[in-house]
Amino acid sequence: MADSRRLMDVELERALRDLGPRYPYPPTPNLTSRVRLRITAQPVRRPRRLELWRDPRRLALVAAVLLVLLGAAALANPATRDAIAHFFHVRGVIVNREASPLPSFSPVTPLDLGRRTTMADAQSKVSFTIAVPPELGEPDAVYVVSGIPGGEVALAYTPRPGIPLVKQTGLGVLVTEFRGDLIPGFIFKGVEQGTTVQEVSVNGDPGWWIAGQPHLVIIQVGGNDQSETLRMAANTLIWEHAGVTYRIESGLSKADAFRIAAGLP
Amino acid sequence: MEGRPLDDIALVERAKKGDVNAYESLVQHYQQLAFRVAYQVTGNAADAEDAAQEAFVNAYYALGGFRAGAPFKPWLCRIVANEARNRRTSAQRRTVLAERALVAQSSGDSAQSPEDAAEAHEFRSTLVATLQRLKEDDRLILAYRLFFDLSEAEMADALSVPKGTVKSRLSRALGRLRAALPADIRMPSPAGEHDG
Repeated sequence: MADSRRLMDVELERALRDLGPRYPYPPTPNLTSRVRLRITAQPVRRPRRLELWRDPRRLALVAAVLLVLLGAAALANPATRDAIAHFFHVRGVIVNREASPLPSFSPVTPLDLGRRTTMADAQSKVSFTIAVPPELGEPDAVYVVSGIPGGEVALAYTPRPGIPLVKQTGLGVLVTEFRGDLIPGFIFKGVEQGTTVQEVSVNGDPGWWIAGQPHLVIIQVGGNDQSETLRMAANTLIWEHAGVTYRIESGLSKADAFRIAAGLP
Repeated sequence: MEGRPLDDIALVERAKKGDVNAYESLVQHYQQLAFRVAYQVTGNAADAEDAAQEAFVNAYYALGGFRAGAPFKPWLCRIVANEARNRRTSAQRRTVLAERALVAQSSGDSAQSPEDAAEAHEFRSTLVATLQRLKEDDRLILAYRLFFDLSEAEMADALSVPKGTVKSRLSRALGRLRAALPADIRMPSPAGEHDG
């Protein structure tokens, strides 16, 4: 039986290879001029370097972050970094467990979520369909970042009964969505020993649940000298579906976070 | 559509520095692959065209952080497939029948007898129709390997899955294709095999 099945596989593979060149594709359109027109109409904007050095508090953050990064020397090597990212299956995100406690940031690092706007405007600025968790309904505020490939949207929900205030964000729940596949840079998350990092499955996609002690989030887009965001984050559920990375940050339990995630892709 | 990583690396490096002509060469070289990958997902020419174009534009703006020497082709495939997934509409259902007719017209092997040719056409038409009914992940992995000739490493990259799982995923997709084929289907004799 096993032999006939294997033969069948070989035959099927042969049949598919044979079909390949004959597959009834419509004629390939010529995309070169249209792509050229679009990329010349809007030249690459080099995101400006954040002026970290002028702000002593930010400088302290950067110093702390550099220590974290040096501690994870492996991450300095892009090949290793990619291998780690691959291992964790979630593009654009790296979780690193720290041996020593992370510095605590006080006062709260101001959130830099982008430009506040309407849902319709945000949708027109990002290259994916914004998903609003039905469990939470329309957000209290919508922010968009259009300077990164594919754009990023943040849906902010203020605290309400059943949704506690998160000190780190000043919000109840923060849902961020971005094209993880377009961002060869990464979100770096440094977590302490007291922080739980669980590999989880969210709607069938691999992800992480990070909870316990607030963890450090660095968002680097496209290399070392572009936009960077540093802050402490609360309980986070993060996963990727069809190239879009979804992140739910809240003070909620894992079960509650998963309930919110269930309404998202 | 063969791999040509050295050319790609040089072109990507030039495009990163703002050389639009270099990027246009990449578009020129990969547009057929991009369109066909998108078509495998959408089953609809207009959506596939839109997805391929958007993928090239998005990839261009994302090049800034692209690691030097990283392979362009699987990364492009991944972006194209994601763009295509975002555009898939119910229109794809309607195209299946049209395709069955198309496949019959497009394949003609002079080395075969008319009977064998007819049998081969029928078989390919059934194969296309069955592929269309598979889940898109299965169709895409089969297409990457058997239509577009991606290596296992490239497939892992294009599908965002660990390299170690590519073989088993491919084998499962093949199994599901076999299960979805009509029970009485017969493999046609390959062109020319029993002529000589």
